[in-house]
Amino acid sequence: MTTQPQSTAAMPEPAIVIRHLNKWYGQHHALRDVSLRLGAGEKIVLCGPSGSGKSTLIRCINGLESFAEGSLEVGGVALDGSSAHLREIRRMTGMVFQHFNLFPHMTVLENLTLGPRSVLRESEIEASARARALLERVRLGDQALKYPGQLSGGQQQRVAIARTLMMRPQVILFDEPTSALDPEMVQEVLEVMEELASDGQSMIVVTHEMTFARNVADLVVFMDKGQILEAAPPEVFFTTPHTERARNFVRQIGHAA
Amino acid sequence: MTHILTSGIELPASDAIRPPPAQENRVRALTGALFGSTFSTLITLIGGALLLVFAWFALKWAIVDAVWTAPGGSAACAKPGAGACWAVIGAKYPVILFGAFPYAEQWRGVVLIALWLVWAGVSIFRRVPALTKIIGWIAIFIVSIILMRGGIFGMTYVGTDQWGGLPLSFMIFGGTIAGGLPLGILLALGRRSRLPIFSALCTAVIEVTRGFPLLVVLFFAALIMPLFLPPQLNVDKLVRAEIGMIIFFAAYAAETIRGGLQTLPLGQDEAAQALGLSYRQRLLKVILPQAIASALPSLFNDIVRSFKNTTFFAILGLWDILGATKSALQDPEWVKYSIEGYLFVFLLYFVICSGLSLYGRSLERESLSRLRRAGK
Ligand SMILES: Nc1ncnc2c1ncn2[C@@H]1O[C@H](COP(=O)(O)OP(=O)(O)OP(=O)(O)O)[C@@H](O)[C@H]1O
Ligand SMILES: [Mg+2]
Repeated sequence: MTTQPQSTAAMPEPAIVIRHLNKWYGQHHALRDVSLRLGAGEKIVLCGPSGSGKSTLIRCINGLESFAEGSLEVGGVALDGSSAHLREIRRMTGMVFQHFNLFPHMTVLENLTLGPRSVLRESEIEASARARALLERVRLGDQALKYPGQLSGGQQQRVAIARTLMMRPQVILFDEPTSALDPEMVQEVLEVMEELASDGQSMIVVTHEMTFARNVADLVVFMDKGQILEAAPPEVFFTTPHTERARNFVRQIGHAA
Repeated sequence: MTHILTSGIELPASDAIRPPPAQENRVRALTGALFGSTFSTLITLIGGALLLVFAWFALKWAIVDAVWTAPGGSAACAKPGAGACWAVIGAKYPVILFGAFPYAEQWRGVVLIALWLVWAGVSIFRRVPALTKIIGWIAIFIVSIILMRGGIFGMTYVGTDQWGGLPLSFMIFGGTIAGGLPLGILLALGRRSRLPIFSALCTAVIEVTRGFPLLVVLFFAALIMPLFLPPQLNVDKLVRAEIGMIIFFAAYAAETIRGGLQTLPLGQDEAAQALGLSYRQRLLKVILPQAIASALPSLFNDIVRSFKNTTFFAILGLWDILGATKSALQDPEWVKYSIEGYLFVFLLYFVICSGLSLYGRSLERESLSRLRRAGK
């Protein structure tokens, strides 16, 4: 694959370093002393019950949410209130949302080229050529001129992934990318994500898809009530979780699956 | 005790796939509604007869017996049995269409009207890029001012107090939209601003303006504002009134656009932020296009209303087309035929306003078909 900077694997520097992060929504302590490190080229699956703060945590990473205490670095750049740093971090991170959030007034192609043209100052020709290549990769080569509203949920989410890849992010943050999809479409999205993972893309994925976690994750991180309670490779986490709450959680999603 | 099951099914009699049963046909439905009972038959007959009689008289007056030309003055219309005196329009159109604009220079108004109509026609086509349309309109507006004002290219100078008629209506309207729409967008964004002072200021401008009738706003702009301005700053009355008009339109447009902004899911801005777009880029590429598209139906109401509002300029002594007609019909020779003159102007308004509405409706359909969600 050409769009993936292989050099990230060679970089000794971790992709993301989070130290002692604390965040409040009003009086509600939403993130409690969260520390987390993502190595370059590695994959973390983040899981935990509803309301445990998974979305809040990954939205802090690209500055969609602010935090009160602690420090956060992406690719060595600190998220410290400087708008130049924020811009740089947003350039290095991509995000895929539960509800896709494609721009409905633009064609698929325009959705893909908007970022590169506005932020990276790429020419239309260059951006379109890359967009078409990426659409081929997510198996949507024939949909370039359609509007998002004309696509199925699974197709829309693959467009959203391609849109993120257009920015050549060092890390991609996925927030429950398959939970708004009809069951028959989940697989096509997970396949694209697994391909990305095997190409060496660093990512943090919030998901309850256990099979995906087993295939892809280097580390499964379990959160509850705003805290990280444990982290382990998937084969360990899903078979012998340490904490009582993680055990309950694994049992529950095991039944659901 | 055994429970007897009452729920159950019955298997389909055949598995044929059929077209839907024939709908009751429209003609039959209408006949039923009109002649269904003795009473409704009676009403239909009486109503129909009245309608026919009215239509006959209207036709006779407006077409059959109408006087179309009167080379010898209004005497031709005074003949017994004469119907509508359309000749009044032929006799008075220079004043109706161009107000007090000097007669010898009225070709300038003709060119202006032609330019506006042609470019309005061009603007209907979706193929023409929006940027081309906008640049064209700006150019036409500048040319319009030069044409009306004169003083260069050998055209005699004509002061704004002599501008009038349809060209004036067009220019008031064009200026209102061109100035009011951007101002409305800024006010709408300002009202949502996170800076409390700025947001309070925008809210105050919007609400205070909306709290006054247009007439008061125009009086304030044209007559009271100069009292507060330094006398050296001699701003033309037309310009002052236009500023009032722009602010009035902007206040309403701001609320309409704010409504559009509120319908936008938060995720749209977040997705644009995650891509790394700056605030300005998010606004121009992602937020405003969608907000304006969803505000379009109400926005076109505001736009059509602001064309009708140009008539208020007459009270300031600026003869828009309605004011010009009124003064044209004061001529004692033709004063008896005012009705015909007004009917003509009403027709003009009707055509322009419905044209605007239809265009708005087609834009709406276009953006709807784009935003259509598949199966959702
Ligand atoms: N904007 C907000 N204002 C106030 N409270 C919030 C806000 N966003 C999230 N919260 C609260 O913070 C907590 C963590 O929310 P978060 O969305 O991060 O959970 P989550 O783990 O992603 O849950 P889910 O699996 O349901 O998506 C919840 O208790 C939630 O109610
Ligand atoms: Mg969440």
